This record gives sequence, C-alpha cells and structure tokens, in this order.
Amino acid sequence: MSAVLSTLDSGSMPPELKDLLSSTDGAAFEQALDALVRQREQHLFRALGLLARDLHGAVSRLGHDLAQEGVPGRVADVRKHLNDVLEMSAQAAHRSIDFAERMSPEADALAQNAEQVVAWAKPGDPSAVLANQAVAFAANCREGLNDMVMAQSWQDLSGQRIKKVVNFIESVESSLLELVHLTGALAGREPPPVVEKISGQDEADRLLSEFGF
Amino acid sequence: MKILVVDDFSTMRRIVRNLLVELGFSNPLIQEADDGNNALTMLKSQPFDLVVTDWNMPNMTGIDLLRAIRAEPSLKGMPVLMVTAENNRDQIIAAAQAGVNGYIVKPFNAVTLKEKLTKIFERIAAAGASA
Repeated sequence: MSAVLSTLDSGSMPPELKDLLSSTDGAAFEQALDALVRQREQHLFRALGLLARDLHGAVSRLGHDLAQEGVPGRVADVRKHLNDVLEMSAQAAHRSIDFAERMSPEADALAQNAEQVVAWAKPGDPSAVLANQAVAFAANCREGLNDMVMAQSWQDLSGQRIKKVVNFIESVESSLLELVHLTGALAGREPPPVVEKISGQDEADRLLSEFGF
Repeated sequence: MKILVVDDFSTMRRIVRNLLVELGFSNPLIQEADDGNNALTMLKSQPFDLVVTDWNMPNMTGIDLLRAIRAEPSLKGMPVLMVTAENNRDQIIAAAQAGVNGYIVKPFNAVTLKEKLTKIFERIAAAGASA
C-alpha cells in the first residue's frame, strides 16, 4: 500500500480520498469506500442506459430505412432474377443437348454410308477418298457431340451454387423482414406498385397490335 | 437392364441418360425421377436393376434414398451409384457406410462412368458366383 501511495501525486488526489486514506476510523473508512463504489456503479448504469437507448434508436431507424428504400422487395427481386438465370441456363443446356441428340444419328448414318462406299469403290477412286474423309469427319462429329453433351453439366454445377445463394438470400430476407416487423416500420406503408412483365416477343407483338402497330 | 436416374436437374438426368446410351444401355429402359421420394415410389412399384442418383435434392436427398433402399427388404440388394458434386470426405464416408456401390464426383466423363459401372457389375457377379 505504501508503495502505491508513494507513486500517487498527493496534489492530484481528491481531498475525500486523501482524508479517507489518512483516517484512523475504520467504520468511516468502510462507509466512504461504499459511497465511492456506489458512485462508480451509478456511472456504469447511466452509460448502459444510454447505450440501450442508442441501440433502440439505431434499430428503429434501420427498420424504417429498410422499409422506405424497399429493401425487402428488392431482395425478392434479386431472388427472382437468380431463379430466372437458373431457368434460362437450363433451357440453353437442353437446346444444346437437343442439337446433339438430333445430329448424332445423322453422323452415324453418314459414317455407315461412307463405309459402304469405301467397300464398293476401287482403290484410287476419288469417291473412296471422299468417303474416307466422310468417315473420319463423322467420327470426329460424334466425339464432339458427346463432349458437347458432357459439357452441359456446367448448368447443373453452376445451378447448384445458384440454389445455395438463393437459399442464403431467403434467410437474409426473412431476417430483414423480421427486423422491419419488429420495429413496426411497416405500419402504414403503402405497398409497392406491381410492374407487369411480358413473357417474350410474341406477347410484345400482341400487345403492340392492340395499339395499332 | 432397367436403370433409374435420379437428379433434380433435368439437364443432368439427360446427360447421364446420354452417357448410359453411349455405353450401350437401352434408352427406353432408362427412367428418371427428380427426387428421392419419387424414386422410392417408382422403385417399389416396378423392378429396376440399377439406381444412379445425385446427392443434393429437395424432399429426399440421395443419401436418404440410399438408406431407404437398404432398409427396404425388397430393395436392399439394389446396386446404387452416386453421382454428385459433394466431395466432402465425411459425405463420401457416410455414403460408403450406408452401403453405396459406387461414388462419382461431378464433373465426370464417360470413361469414369464406364469404369465404375464395370466395377459394380463385376463385384455383383463375383458375389453371385461365391454365393
């Protein structure tokens, strides 16, 4: 204690503390110490109260801002865009597989016919040279078409990742909505206008024809 | 040979079907299901010789389908090949413990599919011969 006291500058020490330290009355010492602790606790409680008020204000403002800026609606839009990407990529992959399934039998038929020509043609016959080329070409096509089908697995692999992102966005969206509801910011808010979208060129043409285009 | 291809992505079902046809399996004998639940219903109502299934699917996953197949007395001997993008060690171990016959990690190619199928049928033939 004496070592601690010796490091303190007695001039900067509050007079109450100086009196307390030099007091020989044990009961008075205890009382004064209690008073100091209580004073300190009160500061702490006041600081906690201020923090709680600030936190409440921040959450209310956040909920209000989220609702005003239409964040929940925008999140739903993003989710829809990703699902559209999923759908469009599946359609594109199916078109590629359709093409490969249509062309493979044609490549097989070409190879078969060309092999017959090779079998019938005399050595050195120009038709045999061409038929041999056709056989090689058909084999290359067949291999390329198989590779093309396999390559479409990108849609499955990227689609699975998109689905994970959609699930994550869904959980963020529900948390945001919960926050907005909690803070009561949705009360009295007008629903966003519904934007009708057309499904493609045919619908656009039909719509325009109604206006005399 | 009647094969059931199970995957929630229609593109992957078509790719697996094309590969199987390329390997010499009959196209009309290949059927498809888009999740484990539908696959299990089909397996219980008609005979199949092989199941090729994905892992990540809604409603019932591939690993749950595998466990359901092994738990069903009429299906427990069904060969199941898992074709999945799941490459976690624990998942592969879980599939092995559940009694999978083969495991292919996507992306894969026809050579890998052929190799795994050959191994599955060799093992089945060996088990049948020793029985």
